[in-house]
Amino acid sequence: MNKSEHLDSVIKTHQITKEEKLLNKFRERNKEVKDDLFEHYKGSIYNPFNSGSYAKNTAINTKFDFDLIAPFKRYAFGTKGTLKEMYEDVYDFLYEKYKDVAKVKKQKVSIGIEFYADSENDIVKIDVTPGRELNEKQYIEDSKLNLYVYSRYGKFDAGSERIQTNIQAQIDSIRNRATTEKDSIRKIIRLLKVWKKTKFDYPTKSYFLELITIKAFDNKTIAGNLWDKLKTVLEYIKDEVTKDSFTLKDKGNSSNDLADTLTESEKRTLSNDMKNILDRIEENDENIKTYFPENAKFKEDKKEENKYQVKGSGFFTIPPKNERFG
Amino acid sequence: MILTNIEIGLSIEIDDKLVGNLIYIGKKHYPNEFGGFLIGNYSDDFKKLNITDTILPNRYKSTPFLFERENIGVDEQFEKFYKENPQKFYVGEWHTHPNNLPIPSNMDIKAMNNITNSKEVAIQNPIFLIIGYNKIKTELGFYIIFKNKIYKYETVNK
Repeated sequence: MNKSEHLDSVIKTHQITKEEKLLNKFRERNKEVKDDLFEHYKGSIYNPFNSGSYAKNTAINTKFDFDLIAPFKRYAFGTKGTLKEMYEDVYDFLYEKYKDVAKVKKQKVSIGIEFYADSENDIVKIDVTPGRELNEKQYIEDSKLNLYVYSRYGKFDAGSERIQTNIQAQIDSIRNRATTEKDSIRKIIRLLKVWKKTKFDYPTKSYFLELITIKAFDNKTIAGNLWDKLKTVLEYIKDEVTKDSFTLKDKGNSSNDLADTLTESEKRTLSNDMKNILDRIEENDENIKTYFPENAKFKEDKKEENKYQVKGSGFFTIPPKNERFG
Repeated sequence: MILTNIEIGLSIEIDDKLVGNLIYIGKKHYPNEFGGFLIGNYSDDFKKLNITDTILPNRYKSTPFLFERENIGVDEQFEKFYKENPQKFYVGEWHTHPNNLPIPSNMDIKAMNNITNSKEVAIQNPIFLIIGYNKIKTELGFYIIFKNKIYKYETVNK
């Protein structure tokens, strides 16, 4: 089989434009939440804005990642207000506002609003990340925010108030590279997201995969067809992520190291997963379909008249004597 | 539950109760793998496989990463299903992946090929179900080898 052709089809069947109707539902809910936040915290909040893969131009149609950043003013929660108080206040507001129509839950640094399935069985999920400017009016100058860490986030402890970043810079840096290098970086990021979607709650953040892809392109010669490029990036992740010297600088704050968002054991898992993908595809090209599946919903219908078949004249079988599964 | 592989245009129908039962039986053997035989029949146009029952092996070995079953002592049960109206017969196999995803391992792929190509198996396209589960989630993977390629079935929104 031609692996690059398959990967190309994976990307095509995951294009967000194929899910325009669902995308519009996300856009509408996103606007609703944004307007509610702005109205409720009038005078204490700057304009909420989108981050996440949709804003970064790296989205796939099975996971839109509508993340909304709520940038609060320094004294929005009183002169002695803590980041924890900010996080809890936003959670309480969103919970009260949406509890009848959505599941509202606390996440690592954000609050997830998962709207119940509509009549077409579509589920819209918006993540809201509250952040607070470092000093009064400083956000206007530097776009920097402090985030609250609700639950353990790699090396960041729960209850930590130390994540400081410039989310707008994060978005811009990824979007710029993903747009200008759309045949390489953007495609590889999307393929890695398709792979991530095949896993149970995988600890590696999409932002981590975006940054490590860009770092691979900056440090390795990545050329050839789509499979060659993907293979080089997978090898790079496998070889580099567990090294003590490995760092992944946050584009929003170079003193933040995204490598710290994974524990040592999670890094080993990521490296092993990359090794497994490479080994299994090396053994048999067909295995690429398991790790990088097309979105069946948009696969072109090759309508052959296929049927289940029988080898002889009857159906009766006693299955083979011994078989081992693993 | 109906699953389809759009590329080859073939479907599977399996009763939710049977699925629940297989999951229940499989999880009882945690942390070891477990599995059995799938029984069913085809629709008139041979485009859909109905999976209706399971037969469990009398003899097997299992560990968290291996399930080896034998076919000793199950003949009568296969014969009984075959005598029913409509006839039911061996259509494939299922096994669990505790704490893992329902993705076929190398050993699984080898077994799938052995069974599909076995002269003792009357049907050309047996089905392989893997039940992957952990504490919070259970996922099913239905696979078929069709024209020497592995395909996965997907649930299709009605």
